[in-house]
This record gives sequence, structure tokens and C-alpha cells, in this order.
Amino acid sequence: MSKKKIIGMTGGALLALFSAQTAFADEILKVGISAPMSGAAAAWGLGFEYAAEQAVEKINSEGGIKAGGETYMLELHSYDNKYNAAEGAKTAQTMLNRENINFIVGSIGTAPVKATQALSERKGAILFNTGWGKSIKGPKYPLTFTQMNTPFEILAPFYGYVKEQHPDAKTVAMITPNDATGQELEPVAVDTWADLNVEVITNDKYERGTTEFQSIATKIANSNADIVDFGASPPTDVGSMLKALDVLGWNGIKVVPAGTSAGTLSKMAGAAAEGTYLGASADFTGDSASDVQRELNTGAMEKLGEALNGITISSYDAVMALKKAIETADSVEPKEVAKVIPTIVFESSYGPAAFGGAEVYGNPQQILVPVMITQLRDGKAVEVGRIAPAELKERLK
Amino acid sequence: MELQVQLLINTLQIGSVYVLFALGLTLIFGVMKIVNFAHGTFFTAAALVVSTVMSVSVETAGLPIWFSYLIAFTLALLIVCMIGFVVYFFGFQYVLKDLNGSFILSIGLLLLLNGTYLILYGGVPRSIPDVVPGNISLFGASLTIQRLLLIIVAAIITIGLYQLVHRTKLGLSLRAVAEDQEAAMLQGIPFRRVAFYGFLIGATLAACAGALMATVTPVTTVIGDDFLVKAFIIIIIGGLGSVLGAILGGLLIALIESFGGYYFDPSTATLAMFVLVVVLLIVRPQGILGHAER
Repeated sequence: MSKKKIIGMTGGALLALFSAQTAFADEILKVGISAPMSGAAAAWGLGFEYAAEQAVEKINSEGGIKAGGETYMLELHSYDNKYNAAEGAKTAQTMLNRENINFIVGSIGTAPVKATQALSERKGAILFNTGWGKSIKGPKYPLTFTQMNTPFEILAPFYGYVKEQHPDAKTVAMITPNDATGQELEPVAVDTWADLNVEVITNDKYERGTTEFQSIATKIANSNADIVDFGASPPTDVGSMLKALDVLGWNGIKVVPAGTSAGTLSKMAGAAAEGTYLGASADFTGDSASDVQRELNTGAMEKLGEALNGITISSYDAVMALKKAIETADSVEPKEVAKVIPTIVFESSYGPAAFGGAEVYGNPQQILVPVMITQLRDGKAVEVGRIAPAELKERLK
Repeated sequence: MELQVQLLINTLQIGSVYVLFALGLTLIFGVMKIVNFAHGTFFTAAALVVSTVMSVSVETAGLPIWFSYLIAFTLALLIVCMIGFVVYFFGFQYVLKDLNGSFILSIGLLLLLNGTYLILYGGVPRSIPDVVPGNISLFGASLTIQRLLLIIVAAIITIGLYQLVHRTKLGLSLRAVAEDQEAAMLQGIPFRRVAFYGFLIGATLAACAGALMATVTPVTTVIGDDFLVKAFIIIIIGGLGSVLGAILGGLLIALIESFGGYYFDPSTATLAMFVLVVVLLIVRPQGILGHAER
């Protein structure tokens, strides 16, 4: 046999071997996250990223996602959207156009979410988000799904609980950031308080990035409101405002619908934060937490020094929902996957969960998970109420 | 009446840090004729150093909080001076009196330093324990003792700077160079050395503001950027290069924030500041105490 023939046959054999290997190699499925990893809301973004990482690791360690005869291993890509539309647009461009990501498993902040959605819907990518705006969902945005409870799910049971505990409370002072999140939340909050016969006596907005809250605190304290509702304010801002209110001697009922990071709140405001009611926090150490939530929470405390909450754990749930939807659709084509999401029941961190809310939003794009009401006691969020949505109970029958 | 006093005290609380921050910015412009968009990074660096050093010295070494703060404050000033030295030596000295060049350089520095802080410190806000705990009542208005000390220290530093600028040889050189660089050089004043001192003083003032601010507000890696926008408004209103203008501008902005935020809302107060700047630029572009360009 000539030298040329030997080299040719060796090369051919190597090529065949390599091709065979690649034919059996797992495919990579990139998934993205857009969240504030810096600034006042960084506690949300970092916890969000952590929970998503755990979900990705779990799925990959269990063999990945099987669809269309292929096995897909997930690869998580995280981006800092700084909780504003400009950075949200930038991260969206990177994820969707440069990295060619078709599944965004989490996005925090209505403003950056809207910026991302403008691109994701056009590109045909699925967008899971924690945006609190009603306008984010609906038949116009078939590829957008909300992965946590929003004001439409939280406020009625949350405010109702507070009013039950404080029946004499008749007035509320509202303060929320002046952005898409705050603007979408405000009318829902005003209406919900009105339904409970609580009058909104002051209703103000502030710019994100504000560091001095004395004038806000002076206005609230001077209003003599029974309740102060901090709306969509992040934990650092709420902490600063509570501290300022404490200096002025105000000691009313404190309510934070977007209240999540009890640890951060307690750190910032100290004793002034005690007794605060939180609408999106969670006690994932208590008896009502699932094993998954307890495990995730322990890991987050070790790694980040901050407990998980309703916002941050939602990225885990979104990844799990995505897995079930891809396997049900037997496809990684986003539009095919989006069609089946409203039909699946998947294993979330809370247990079995689904997507619904067609009556409120026009399309079943809202995750159905329990609303948890917590109160800050001795620096920790203690669960005082948990309400499962009626639609979920129906679906699970 | 008590409400008005509270709002005035709020003005002083807010204004004291604004003034310190803006003084550094206006000094740099006055002497070097450049606008330093990276000025906020000096503020941020000082705040981050204070929060880090204090968490180590109080929690790990168990030192008393007031002593830890003194160490942290001193270290913060030293580190910021070093950063200032490096950015001046390798950057700003080559773009003196060059608005375009300094604009590009300072924006680049802003991105570089903010990114570095984020890598080094992470995104989570930090707070330090109260250096001087407790509240105090002043003419019926309430504030923390810490805030009162912040006002006093800021006032001392401001008066000190004013004395430096108006009563010392260095101050005379700074003013001469700000007035007319060529004439000052003809008088034998070393422009480059004076510009360097001016830059360092400006950076130190920002560091003082950051180190003081760290005691009363959570520290993030972008905290300086929020103050920078207000500082630009202040020095435009007060007059670019005017020390007294920066003081008046700082207090005016704080007044708008305090009273406007109360009687209207914080967003309206912020809007009012920008409207004021627009009006001033039309009516008196050199600012309240600035000098018109010849």
C-alpha cells in the first residue's frame, strides 16, 4: 500500500470517527437572563441568576432536555440590565442578535422587559419576565410569559390581609418609583385600597437612583397616614425611606407590595423595618416551603448572603416550565414551545404549577403560583399568609 | 413653622454633600478648563473604600466604630488621591483646556472605573453601622446626629476650601490660572503644576463627599453617577469655575429638592431643576456667579 493511500485511509477513518462522535454529542441550548446585577435592585438580579443556575445544573445533571430526537444541554447567559430601558435594550440586542438566544428565562424590571420584548417578539424568541405591567401580556405578545405573581394577583389578597390585621386603618400614603413598573402598579393599588375603604391621601413618585429621601419621608410623616405603601420600590430604597421616617417619629403600618429582600431591608433600616408587610417575599425556611425551595434558599444564603424571595426564585420556575414545554412540544422552535406553555402542568419550586390568567390578560400567559404574605419579624420574613390561585386548583383537579 | 424648619434642615442635609461634590467639579473646570465626567468615580471609590474598610475593621478586627471610620476616611482620601494622580498623569495632563479630548477621556474613564468597581465589589448595596447613633431635635426639626455631623464637617471643609482659594498662595495661583492662564504663566506661575494641584484638590473634595455620604446612605458602585448629574446642574447654575457659585448652586438645588419634593412630588422637583438649567442657559448662560466668555 502506498504512503498516500495509508494517509488517506487514516484521515478518512479519523473523519468518520469525529463525525460519529459529533452525531452523538449533546446540543447546546442557550438560555438568557436580563436582570439588575448592580445598583439598588442588585439583590434581585443576583438571586435570580443563582436560582436559574441551579435549575440549569439540575436539568443538565439529569440528562438535559430531549426534543425532536436530540438531547439539549442548557447554557445560561446572564446580563446586567441596571433596571432601566436603555440597558435592557442593550442586553436584549446582545442576547437575541449576537448570542442568538431564543429563550430568555428571566427578565426583571418592566422598563427593561418592554425594551427586550420589542426585540424578542419580532425575533420570535420566548421571554419569561417578572414585569408587573398588564400591558406586557396579551394576544399582541404571544411569546411573552410572566413568571411571578403581579399586582393583579398579589394586591387584593395582600392588602386584604393587612386591612384584616388593622381594621382601624383608614388612610394610606403611596410612594413608588417613577418608571413603567411604578406607573403600571399605581392604578391597581389605588383601586384595591379603595375597594377596602382605605383612602389614598398622598400619591407620589420618585426617580430611581434617588439617594436622599428626607423630603419624601417628611411628606409621608406630615400626612399622618395610617399606612405607607412603598409600591414597586426596591429594598434599598425602602430601607432608606423607613430610616428617614423613623427619624421623624412616624410609626404606622408599613406595606411593600414588591417587598422581597427582608435581609437587605433589615440591614438598611434596622429596627425601623420591623413589622413591615412584604407582598413578594417568602419564608423558604418555614414549614410551608417545599424541599426544593428550602434547598435553593440554603444555597443562596451561603453563596449570596441573601435569602431567596418570590422574584428571585421565579427564574428556577421559568427554566422548569421551559423544560416541560420543550419536551411536550417535542421541539425547540420557540413558537411551537409557546403554543404548549398554557397547556402544561410542570413541577415548579412550589410544586405543580401552570400558566393561566386569560380572563385578566386576554391570554393564558401568567404563571399560577401561590401568593405569599410575609412580615418582617426580628429581621426575618415570616410567612403569615399563603393563597393559592383558584385557577390553579381547577387545573390540578 | 415646624414643617418649614424641617424642610430647611432637609435642605442642609441634602445640600452639604452636593456642595462638596460640586466644588471639586467646578475647581477642576476653573483651573483646567475641562469637564470631568469621571468625577463621580472618585466619590464612589471613597464610599466603597469606607464601606469595605469598616466592615473589615468593625466586624473582623472588632475595632470601635468611630476609630474604624477615621481609618477608613483617611484611607479613602489616600486611595482616591492615588487614583487621581494616575488618571491625571496618564490622561488629563494631555488634554488640558481641550474640551473634546477631556470629554472623550473622562467618559472612557467613567466606564473603565465603574466596570472595575463592579468587578471588585459586586452589585449589592452596602451600608455601614451608624458612626454616631441617635437622633437630635433642632428648632423643632428632627435629624440624625450623624447627618448633623455631616453638615458640620461639610461646612468646615467648604470654609477651608474658600480660605485656601482666597487666602493662600496656592489659592491665588489657582484663581490666576482660572482667570487667565497665559497671564498667570507670564507672572511665573507654573500652570501644569497648579493644574495638577487643582485636580487633586477636586478629587479629594469628591472623596470627602463620598466618605461622608457612606455614613448615611447605602453604597453602590454607581452612586457617584447619580450625584454627578446633580453636580453638573449645580455648577452650571452657579457658574463654571466659581467656588461661591457652587455653594449657592448646591444649596439652591437642595432647596428645590426639599421644598419641591414636599409641596409637589420628587419627580416634579427633579423636572424643575432641569427647567431651571434650561432657563438659566438662555437668560444667563455663564451662571449666577460665573464670568461671561470674552
